[in-house]
Amino acid sequence: MLVLSPRSVEFGSETWPGVSAVAIDRRVTRSLVEWSDEGPHAAFADAPEVEVRVRVTQQLEEASADGPMAGASGSLSFVSAPGRSGARRRRVRVACVVMGVTHEVSERRAGVRTIELVGVSPDGGAADPVSVETAD
Amino acid sequence: MSSYKGLDLFGSGPHRFARGVREHLVVSGFALGTGGAESYALGLKDWEVLVVGRLVAASESALRTLRDAVVDELEPLGSITPGTLADGLGQTWSDMVLVAFEEADRVDRGRAWSVGYTATFRSFQASQFQTFQSGS
Repeated sequence: MLVLSPRSVEFGSETWPGVSAVAIDRRVTRSLVEWSDEGPHAAFADAPEVEVRVRVTQQLEEASADGPMAGASGSLSFVSAPGRSGARRRRVRVACVVMGVTHEVSERRAGVRTIELVGVSPDGGAADPVSVETAD
Repeated sequence: MSSYKGLDLFGSGPHRFARGVREHLVVSGFALGTGGAESYALGLKDWEVLVVGRLVAASESALRTLRDAVVDELEPLGSITPGTLADGLGQTWSDMVLVAFEEADRVDRGRAWSVGYTATFRSFQASQFQTFQSGS
């Protein structure tokens, strides 16, 4: 999932201004592919361990001494809208933990902050860390 | 369909059959009390057949049932009954006993509940088996 220019980006009790993009990637960290004696093709495949990675790109207009702490946990929440009209607005929530904060600096702008988070299941593993609902 | 004593123990998931090492039991003269380093062959060891695969179920309880069905075939000393092991592809081994069932380090919970395993079967010639059971 890639959301450009999301609105109302919040992490826990904080509001993150200037977010230009939120990317939610899913990858398999443990895969199962197994064969039988019947022939050359895989007979079973599954993805029993997966990871949700979230990257938040924040445009900084000025120097900042603040920023999320690595290891901080909370609910990342933002609103996406495919069109300029705001129709089909969706609120996305991800229970996650901050895994890293990095900055890029250029002469033309103050800087770009990238916040890396990993999604965690609120009930210990079974539920998807990402939920999407219609925004009011 | 593979089977052991006519039971479909492994058909829930992919599995493969492999023969164990076919070898003589060789010991040194020192071990036999001659004091020398010469080798003595004491005869061919019993056949060993390995079944390596994955039990697959649609729920936690269904997987437990599959696991218990295999473990139930590990009979206590005194009531061991050899049976025929068939790979379902035309190969059969008679007078086989399930001597070990080792599961992987975790149950995998993806779209299915599954666990990898290695089941070890060993042949017992009837006379040796009876002698072993009587303890003489």
